[in-house]
This record gives sequence, structure tokens and C-alpha cells, in this order.
Amino acid sequence: MSKVVFSSWTGKIVDNRGLDAEKYAEVENLEFPLQYNGREIEAFMSWNGVVVADGRVNIVDMAYCYLKEVQKLSCGECNVGYAGIKVMTDILERISSGKGGEEDVELLGRLGTGIKENAKCEFCASAVTPILDTIDYYKQEYVKLITSKQAAPKSSYIIRVTAPCMEACPAHQDIPGYMELIRNRRFTEALELIRKTNCLPGVLGRACVAFCEAKCIRSDIDSSIAIRALKRVPADYEMSSQSELKFEKKGNGEKVAVIGAGPAGLAASYNLALMGYKVTIYDEQPSAGGMALVGIPSYRLPKDILKREVDIIKDLGIEFKLNTRVGKDITLEQISGQGFKAIFIATGAHLGRESDIENWKKEYEGLIDGIDFLRNVNLGKKVAPKNRVIIVGGGNAAVDCARTCLRLGCKDVTIVYRRSRGEMPARREEVEEAEREGVKIHFLALPVKVLTEGSKVTGAECIRMELGEPDASGRRRPIPVKGSEFVMETDMIISATGEAPDLSFLTGKEQIKITEQGTIEVEPIKFQTGKAEVFSGGDCVIGPATLSEAIAAGNRAARSIDQYLRTGKVIPSDEDVVENWLCDVALGRERDGKIFASEPRQSPEQLAIPDRLRDFNEVEQCLSFEAAAKETERCLRCYRVMLLAVTSEK
Amino acid sequence: MVKLTIDDKVVEAEEGSTILDVANQAGIYIPTLCSHESLSPVGSCRICAVEIVTNGKSGLTMACTYPVEAGLEVRTGSEKVIEARKLAVELLLAQRPHSARIQELAQKLGIEQPSFALKGRECILCELCVRACHEIVGTDAITFVAQGKDRDTDEASVVHSVEKCIGCDSCAYICPTEAITVEDVGDTRTINTPSGKLEFKLKKCKVCGNYWAPEKQIEYIAKESGTSLEEYDICPNCRD
Repeated sequence: MSKVVFSSWTGKIVDNRGLDAEKYAEVENLEFPLQYNGREIEAFMSWNGVVVADGRVNIVDMAYCYLKEVQKLSCGECNVGYAGIKVMTDILERISSGKGGEEDVELLGRLGTGIKENAKCEFCASAVTPILDTIDYYKQEYVKLITSKQAAPKSSYIIRVTAPCMEACPAHQDIPGYMELIRNRRFTEALELIRKTNCLPGVLGRACVAFCEAKCIRSDIDSSIAIRALKRVPADYEMSSQSELKFEKKGNGEKVAVIGAGPAGLAASYNLALMGYKVTIYDEQPSAGGMALVGIPSYRLPKDILKREVDIIKDLGIEFKLNTRVGKDITLEQISGQGFKAIFIATGAHLGRESDIENWKKEYEGLIDGIDFLRNVNLGKKVAPKNRVIIVGGGNAAVDCARTCLRLGCKDVTIVYRRSRGEMPARREEVEEAEREGVKIHFLALPVKVLTEGSKVTGAECIRMELGEPDASGRRRPIPVKGSEFVMETDMIISATGEAPDLSFLTGKEQIKITEQGTIEVEPIKFQTGKAEVFSGGDCVIGPATLSEAIAAGNRAARSIDQYLRTGKVIPSDEDVVENWLCDVALGRERDGKIFASEPRQSPEQLAIPDRLRDFNEVEQCLSFEAAAKETERCLRCYRVMLLAVTSEK
Repeated sequence: MVKLTIDDKVVEAEEGSTILDVANQAGIYIPTLCSHESLSPVGSCRICAVEIVTNGKSGLTMACTYPVEAGLEVRTGSEKVIEARKLAVELLLAQRPHSARIQELAQKLGIEQPSFALKGRECILCELCVRACHEIVGTDAITFVAQGKDRDTDEASVVHSVEKCIGCDSCAYICPTEAITVEDVGDTRTINTPSGKLEFKLKKCKVCGNYWAPEKQIEYIAKESGTSLEEYDICPNCRD
């Protein structure tokens, strides 16, 4: 709840003009704080309305500056949106510089309404909303400038462009931007755009959990855009066309060490190398990729795809020290002593959570941790298939283990999950594909005791569960049903109930703090640890998460490291702060949505089931260029331009 | 077949056909500019706006792209529709006041002058050339440029790729505003586009001596059809 002079946010009008501040009616639906980086927000304008906190900003100047930004994004694929916004911007420029004519306000209204009703996509149609609000509620401000022939006083603004999909993506990739480029078959440029925020397009185009798709506005009409599958198209195109990559590097040459060659470490290294730093990456595995290498089975992410994208990053002049485990083969202190000006720790979360099943003893034959199991298979170690396997857990790792087991030749593979299907954290598509391949899922059951004969696993005693009240995660808490114990016979139990960071390389003397959750403590936004020159990000900071979150952390940490090395300090930029401030704005909500005809989603072809189970061949195929172009036509281009007027810095 | 109403008239139509197809068959005039019978519709000019009621929602849509569905209500002459078409045409007229096609559309809607000025543009971005180049010719030589949120221009444009363009002149043929024109002088074809000139060497017929097609186009046709280049030494007029 906030008290402001005026708000038309989400279409609900609160007008407190002319009232004493203590009599202000409150705005109940303001989804964002009116503070930003310690400064006050004077006014805010975006697709969903106008909020004026106090009377300091000239609304006409603000409208003009806002629409100028909108015009930059107006794509040109529709006459009314593109030409209409141009005319409106011209008119606003005229009025705000004291050269407006009497008929200009009415004309603005006519154009705004016309664009709202008849523009092709979401962008222009929604972008004019706050302008129409200013005409409806601040008309006298326009008239004042027109009659006095005076220019509007100028304010300074912070501008941010985002979209529901972009905001949902931890790396804030310019999704509508590369949708347009793919539609126009400009694959090389699409990839250049993707690489600005994601150095592993082919990897993420296959294995990303796609938070973006969950927030896609298109799903209000039919189904979300196949953003992940579309990202793969230009990546595969580049690979098949073997085009040479050109990167422009800046040279400032200081040495930075990165510990861990997973997505976070690779993203930080990629960005730092492009800025000109000399990067050395340490990793314990024989090749780079971190969880993308050891955690994701190759039927989802073929190893050569990962290798190719790692090689591209390597070609930026990064030194890889593989087979080198920090804490064992080299200490953090020794690295510090080698002239590195900053260190980025991105060691991930590779430790299986200790199983709390009774009688779980590592020495038994047939008991293994999910992450160890996947690592062994992914690194090509011989793993003898068992006839019957139980996998405990309901996340992506559990499903990966199950589908891997089938491919190793296991006959009877069952996932045992303590909640029901709706609560499963694994991606729905993955679960469906696993079931189609023959994986069984036993819901609402929990193995509680390992049964053995000698040192061999023979079964699991399980107990049935029922769902109670929601827990901290918002999902209903599973409660054991008394006396419901039953036995599942099995030759192997894989426990895939979560991973944790292995921080044994920290000695406790480094001024790097460890949180209660067993992760590295960093300052939010900055990614800086208690030791100024040491930064950290990815799973070792937030716990086991996703590829895109790791890449986002790497990108941001690289910016912090660069700032630290240039200035000795890390001060989050306006952009960084707005990024976090924005998290509270519900970007999806819409005033007066347009009508769009339903169009089916284009889905990539999947390998036939018998062909899948023979080996680790990639299951999902690439969308054809035609299907990709067709799919991008479904994109509603929901860019949102946000303009914040903030008080000047003290 | 589905039943829908257009201007209170019940019509039967094949599912999946567009409102424009159905209206044309029913003899109802809807003005168009960017739609073409041989090309897939994109709805870029916004002139064929109609008002529809579907699932309890009403609003404007494009007749050229919207597929008909059972129970759809369409209004082609409501106040909202006329105003939308007028604004769309005014925006085009302001950019290309001398285009015959646009003048004709303006006249039909009773527009004499646009109510605003807009910097003149030759290309109105109707995408007819883009679609012809992709769907008919298959060369993908014309595409939109400068996209994405960090693009460094506020002018949208379509450009010809010098590498991909074969000089076939389909773009000039289909351009409704003469923004793209073609000129054959001697052994050279020049395609004039808003983003610049493209020149092509023309092939001479071994029999009549006339220059009859760009060499690059002939090479493209030979390659696509798997025929030998010699087959194109003689122009179509001189072949038997």
C-alpha cells in the first residue's frame, strides 16, 4: 500500500491531487516499492499506467521521454504501431518544447486509441496506455504548455526495457529480440544477441528449464512460445554452417582465476575474457562444463554440443587447468599467490545429500547417490546395469537417473516420490517422456529402510504417504500413513533427493563466510564475499539450481569483478538495482488485452522410443527453419518500457 | 464447414479460411493493401480491420489473418472499424502521398489529407517483397534489419542482401508504392531500393542478341532445377 498523488496503475484510478497528504487515499495495487537504491521514485510510467508520487515531475516531459524509448523498440512490422508511435512522439516533442498546437492533444488521443485497438502485437498496443492516461487525467498540463508556448522542465529518468519472459529468465535474455531475428532467418545475428547474455546457447537451447516459457503471455491465448527449442535453432545453424566467430575483445589484461568450469564459471570467464582479462579456470574434471557435463545425461545434451561451446569460450584466450581440484591439487592460498587480482568461486553443488533411509550404508552393493551415479555414467565409467532399480526423489536429477538406467539396460525402473504428480519439481515434459519410455512412478511413498542379504541390496521397505497442509515451499507436506509399510524388491536404490556444495576447500581462514545452509555468503547483487577480491556465484551460493541461474550469476559477477579491478570498489549500477526492484512488478498483468487467433505451438520432433533406449542418442530434434519461423510468429512481443523519475543523488 | 455472421448475415465457410476470404466470397468489400492471393498474410498494413465478437470478447482484428470459427460475429462497417481503417490509411498517406494505391484507398474512405505530418518514407514496410522473396523466389534476400531491444537505430527497414539477391525483380513487381523499381539499360539491370542500388549483369541471347535475364538469376534457376547453364544461352522468345 502506498500513498501517492496519482495512480492509474492496472487501470484503477486513485487521484489525490488537491488533498492534504494526510488525507490521501491509498493505492492498494501498487506492486513495487517507491524506493529505489535509497532514492525516492518521483514518478513511474509503463505499460500498465502512470504513478505520480509527488508533483515534482512534469508529466508531459515524462510522456515524451517515455514514448521516445517506445519508438526505439517499435519494430516496423505493423503500420499503425510503427508509424503511429512516430507521429505521437513528434507531437509530444512539439508540445514539450512549447511548440504544440491546439489540436495536438486530441490528435494524440486519437492516435493512442487507434494504436491500442489496432496495432499488431502487444508492444505498441500496451505501450500507449500510460500516454492515454495522461491525456485523460493530466490534460491541463498539456494545455498549459500549448497556451503558454513554454517548454516543459526536463527531468532525468532511469529507463529499463524488459518483458515477462525476459524478466523470468535469470539472465534476462532479450527473448523477443531473438524471436524477431529467427523469424527473419537472421540466425547469426540471433546468436550474437543471445551470446550477449548467454555464452552457452546450444546447451541452454536443449537443457534449460525455461522459466521464460512459464511466464509467456501467449499461454493466456493457447500455449507458451517454444522459446527453449527456438534458441537451439540458430545455435545448430551456426554449427552446421561452421561459420567463423568474431569476438571483439577489450584489452586490460589483469589476471583473474575462476574456480569451477561449470556454467557460472564459464559465463564469468567468457565475459571477463571479452573485457580483456586473462582468465585461468580450474576444474577437477577432465573436461569443462560442471553440472552440464556430469549431471545432464547426453540424451538431453550431447557431449559434443557442450564441448563445442566450451571450445568457443576457450578460444577467447582462457587457460583451462583441468583435472585440478582446488583444495586437493592446489589450495586457494596458492592460487592467490600467483598474481591473480580477483578470484571467482563457482564450484557448484556436487555433493549428494546424505540419505536418511535406515540401514543406508555406502559399502552395500546397489546403493548409490544420484549425482554420483550420473557423474559416473557421464564421465564414461563402467556402470553395470541392475535388473530392478528404485530411484528416490522427484526432481530433474531423479528423472535423469531413471531414464539413464533404462538406457543402461535396466529392466524395471521405478521412481518413488513422497508427494503426488502435481508437486514433482521435475519438468513436466521430462516426466512424461520418462513414462513413455517405460519408467514407472510410485507416488506418495517413501523408502524408509534398505533391505539386504549379506552386503547385497534386495529391497526397500517403504511407507505410504498422504498430503497434509502446505509447507514452506507452498507444496502440501507429505505425512506417513501409520501401519502402511510395504516392501519393494529391488537390486539397486539411487537416492536423488538433492545436492549440496562441497566447500571442503575452504579452510576457514579466508574471511569467506559460509551460511547456515552450507553455501558461500556473498553480498546480494555484487556477488562479493567477505574477502574483497574473492567473488562467488552459482550453485555454491544459492544451492542446487539451474543452468540459467548459474549463467546469470556468472554474467553479473563478471561485471562486479571488472568494476572492482577498475575502481577498487563494487557499486551496483542503476541497471543492476532496477533489475532487482523490478522483480516485484507483475509484468504479465494486462489492461484491455487484445484478441489474438489461436495458433498451435510448434514442437520439435522426438526420437522414436525404441531408437532412444538403445543408446544415449539425443531424444529431442531441432525445429526446422520453417517451423521455427512459424513459431516465432506466435510471439506477442510483450516488451515493457519502464521509465522511472528518481530524486537526484545526494 | 462452420457458420458465422458477417454484418448480421449468416454465412457458411470452410474452417481455417480467413475472414477476408469469406467476406470476399460473400461479396462484402474489405479494403486491403499488404495482402496478396499468392502470399501468406501477415497483417502489417492494418487496413482490413474488422470488429469481431468471440468468446464474449470483442475487438478489432485483421480480416486477412484471422481464421473463421463457428459462431464468430464479424462487423465490417462499424464506427470503430471505419476509424481504424482511416487512421491506418492516413498514416500511409502521410508517408507516401503520391502513391496511386494509397490515394485510391484514401479516396474510398473519404480522406483528403492526413491530419498529421510524418517524415516521408518510400517503403511502408508492408512486407510484400519480403514474402515474395521468401515464398515465391526462395532466396530470402530481403529481410528486416536492426531488431532486438538494444538496436542502435529507431528506423525500421527491410534491406536486400547483395549476396543473396539474384536480381529477379519480383520485389519491384509486387511493391505497391514504387519504393522498389527496376531499370534495364544495356547489359545492366539496376534494382533501386530505399537502402541503395543493386546492379546485375544481364545475359545476352545467342540468337536475337537481346539482354533477357540477370546472369545471377539464370545461375540460380539452373542450380535449383538441376539444368545446365548452356540451356539458357537462348532466350525464351527464340526457343522454337
